[in-house]
Amino acid sequence: MAYSDKVLDHYNHPRNVGSLDKSASNVGTGMVGAPECGDVMKLQIQVNDESGIIEDARFKTFGCGSAIASSSLATEWLKGKTVDEALQIKNTDIVNELSLPPVKIHCSVLAEDAIKAAIGDYRAKQSSKVATPAEQQSVA
Amino acid sequence: MCRERGVLFHTDGVQAIGKVPVNVNTDNIDIMSITGHKLYGPKGVGALYVRRRSPRVQITAQMDGGGHERGMRSGTLNVPGIVGLGEACAIARREMPEEMKRMRYLRDKLKSRLEAGLDEVFINGSMEHRLPQNLNMSFLYVEGESLLMGINDVAVSSGSACTSATLEPSYVLKALGLGDDLAHSSIRFGIGRFNTEEEIDYVADKVIDVVRKLRELSPLYEMAKEGIDLSKVQWAAH
Repeated sequence: MAYSDKVLDHYNHPRNVGSLDKSASNVGTGMVGAPECGDVMKLQIQVNDESGIIEDARFKTFGCGSAIASSSLATEWLKGKTVDEALQIKNTDIVNELSLPPVKIHCSVLAEDAIKAAIGDYRAKQSSKVATPAEQQSVA
Repeated sequence: MCRERGVLFHTDGVQAIGKVPVNVNTDNIDIMSITGHKLYGPKGVGALYVRRRSPRVQITAQMDGGGHERGMRSGTLNVPGIVGLGEACAIARREMPEEMKRMRYLRDKLKSRLEAGLDEVFINGSMEHRLPQNLNMSFLYVEGESLLMGINDVAVSSGSACTSATLEPSYVLKALGLGDDLAHSSIRFGIGRFNTEEEIDYVADKVIDVVRKLRELSPLYEMAKEGIDLSKVQWAAH
């Protein structure tokens, strides 16, 4: 398999590997894929609640070089964007940036899914924060 | 089993020939494929053993023409290739007892070094019914293709779906009873006649190093260290 230089670079020097505190109210965690498929990505964002800007992003991936590169690239792109801007990231952007061959396109799709899952988790936390104590009682 | 029922048995012997003793009579082989390049002979030449007696095997001609090779395969023979194949077989027969010992020693050394340097590694298939130079191991929480990328100056293969054009994991490993997750984490090492002990140590060191690095990247390893039972997790599969 011929890899693009960018995929190799991300593989050898992955950016933003690690974990954020998933219980923090301003951290969104997305976990997508399955071990049976050979691809699992965990992507986390830390959002500044006031500005809505993603201050930090981390990832961990079980998968091939293209999957690792796609999720590493995603965390690079997420930092500094607002949550709404982050939702604009398309898997095709990742394919183009990393020159992924057709057989590896699904890795970029998974990365896009991971971004959306992390944002979804963050937003879910925000909306449960907004609920009043009385509402929270009945929900629990 | 086939013999008892009058069923012809063909085996693809390309991995076995020249590496372990094969006897078409005691092994009840009626037809067998052989290739030169798997026993250090020339590439582009092979042979098909076709049993003549008890039972007599008759095969349909692969190519029609001048009736060469008793009508089984017409066409001018590849003489240089055939001579090379013959010589490779002669050498293999001569070297086999010593070579089997050496291959087994190197393979067992690689296995011990990897098992000593890493936890959660598994051997796929029987150690007893295995070629002395073959080793197939799974490295839990690490995907096969990403491991191959890290040891890219070592020629090995993986049963991972990501390494196949069809994105399916190895059907052989599945037949051995491996779950998909272990199939995706598998590496097949084949030791060769010209491999040295230094190379075995080099490969062991490199594999251990890359597996450790990839486990740091792995969400599955992280979850396992936290005590989570991965078999109970609900995955958001794509």
